[in-house]
Amino acid sequence: MIEKHTPRSFWIGILLLPALSGMLTGCTAAKAAVYAAPDYHSWKRTTNVILDYPIPGHQNRFRIPRMNDIGFTAKPTIENGKQRWDFPAGTVIVKEVYETPKPVAGETPIQLTIMVKAPKDPHAQGGWLWITRDLPNGKESVFMGNFCITCHANANEKHPYGDGNPNEEFRDYVYFVPGEGSPNSSDRP
Amino acid sequence: MPGKPRLFSLTFKVNLILIAALAVGIGAIMVAFAVSLVAFRNQLTIQSLMRQGDDHFVAIETLMISGNAPEAVGYFTKVNLTNAATTITLYRRDGTRAFSDNTTIERVNQNLKMQRFLVKDRPPAPGATVPTPRFAEAAGLPPQELFFRDDEGFALGGGKAYFRAYRPLINLPKCTVCHGADHTVRGVIDIRSDVTSVVKAQAVSIGGAGVGFFVMVAILAFVIGSFLRRVVLRPVQSIGKVCIQVTSGNFDGRVKVGSNDEIGVLARTVNTMVGGLHERFELTKYVSAGTIGAITAGQEPKRVLRTLLFTDVRGFTSYTERHRPEQVVNVLNRILEKQSEIIQSCGGDIDKFVGDEILAVFSGDKAPSRACTAALRMVRLCAESVEEFEHLAVGVGIATGSVIHGMVGSARRADFTVIGDSVNLASRLCGIAKGMQIIVCSAIHEAVAAEFEFKGPFTVKLKGKIEQQKVWLLSGSVQGRSS
Repeated sequence: MIEKHTPRSFWIGILLLPALSGMLTGCTAAKAAVYAAPDYHSWKRTTNVILDYPIPGHQNRFRIPRMNDIGFTAKPTIENGKQRWDFPAGTVIVKEVYETPKPVAGETPIQLTIMVKAPKDPHAQGGWLWITRDLPNGKESVFMGNFCITCHANANEKHPYGDGNPNEEFRDYVYFVPGEGSPNSSDRP
Repeated sequence: MPGKPRLFSLTFKVNLILIAALAVGIGAIMVAFAVSLVAFRNQLTIQSLMRQGDDHFVAIETLMISGNAPEAVGYFTKVNLTNAATTITLYRRDGTRAFSDNTTIERVNQNLKMQRFLVKDRPPAPGATVPTPRFAEAAGLPPQELFFRDDEGFALGGGKAYFRAYRPLINLPKCTVCHGADHTVRGVIDIRSDVTSVVKAQAVSIGGAGVGFFVMVAILAFVIGSFLRRVVLRPVQSIGKVCIQVTSGNFDGRVKVGSNDEIGVLARTVNTMVGGLHERFELTKYVSAGTIGAITAGQEPKRVLRTLLFTDVRGFTSYTERHRPEQVVNVLNRILEKQSEIIQSCGGDIDKFVGDEILAVFSGDKAPSRACTAALRMVRLCAESVEEFEHLAVGVGIATGSVIHGMVGSARRADFTVIGDSVNLASRLCGIAKGMQIIVCSAIHEAVAAEFEFKGPFTVKLKGKIEQQKVWLLSGSVQGRSS
């Protein structure tokens, strides 16, 4: 009687499957996402206000926030008689942070802090991913604590920046929303 | 054949494996369970404290806007007094206790450029704690929410065990009007929960489970070990003991069969086997060593050189007519027994008994010499045992030469014996030998002439032989005469 033998390679393959899948998973996990596009320098600023005044979290470091075109498509809606801002998914705001309040020409920032609107991302807080880029090695890390959102939640209330959000509109955690109020607002708290 | 006694018996090994398996198996489950239980308790405690931290954080954040710090002080005081196991303390970012002095009030008034708040005489909040080295992490940039164990000389015998949570109080933009924008962290909320009783209860619980585990392992090992010892090990040891007895020639032992399982079947089989071996062992008494050897070596007939010794009791026929059968058999057995002993001691093999006759075969080195020695000892025995043998004596004939060694008979009953002219010659020589006489052929004489004394040659006419045969009468040994 001739027995049907299972090829040895089949069993070896079965045994190696977990290791192989682990390697593939590891490779996938090792691939880091890049949220701030290389051309973010060409993005428009969210405000003309000179952000050289001290604020908690960034001290007195000079800051330049820029937003991609998707972000600028956002239009406020009216809710309970108030404006409401909801930035579309895919909005990216990159804030360059310089070491001093008055950087010299050609000086490079020391840090990028990035907001990415990704409501479906499990790490999103308030619909945003809060990211920092370590400029020496270019590695971006999603901030897992609530430090960023705790501070930016104040953008939805009265605050001392820009127009100060006197009507306490929901501004989707962004202090300087597009529009007239942003570039013309006060540059000092 | 029993081997060298083993260092560790089967019983020891089985018990060792049992205890190890139980200890590792149940122990692993116990450890995993204890670890998961502790982790679960810790997780619950952490979640509870984190929730408390969130609640307190929201409360403090709400209370501490627009100059409501006194309400926050009252809140802290009430919380600390309400729950003795939990202490809440608010630290400034430099590690000093908030509300313990007027530093903050003076700073706010300075930022507002007005005397918005009056300097007060504040007693320290009850239950205040001391910041740990980890405080710097919580108050650093970015500020960290921390949860950690902070024991004060805790041991099962004394001290205190704490879980401690540090929740940074962020200097929100809306707070900067009063508190300034030059710092990110205003302070750290320290929530310290006394978990001494929980940890002790946990330790007692784990200790109790550990003791229970060892007791359970001991009981299980005893029960299972006893069961295996009774059902498997003892029967196997009994079987081994019987086998050793059989090896040493004792066939009386039997395995006690106590069950109908596989061990019982094995015991019965061994008993049956021992019985069969006993029967066959008894049968070997009636079979020559050559026959037994042939069974082992093969039963093909072959031509070999052998020395044949025949003995016959002279006058035995008339003796049987004059005595009772019991007496006849008795004396015959005595004579045959003594002759058998002599033959075997001289290296001979008794091929068969035929009535009062013996056919013995000698082979190998100095076979003729050993046959002659045996014959002389038989004759001497008869001379010395006249009364015992009731005046019966043996005549002996010895011949040597080529014989055929093989199985002779039918398929139902056969003898493994020798046949050939030398056998017939030895028989004839025995036939003409009188009591106490040993007659040998010429070949024997030629082979051992230097060792023994002979008389002759004599010329005799033997039945079945056409020509007359030259024979010799063995009378003694040269060595015996010299000694």
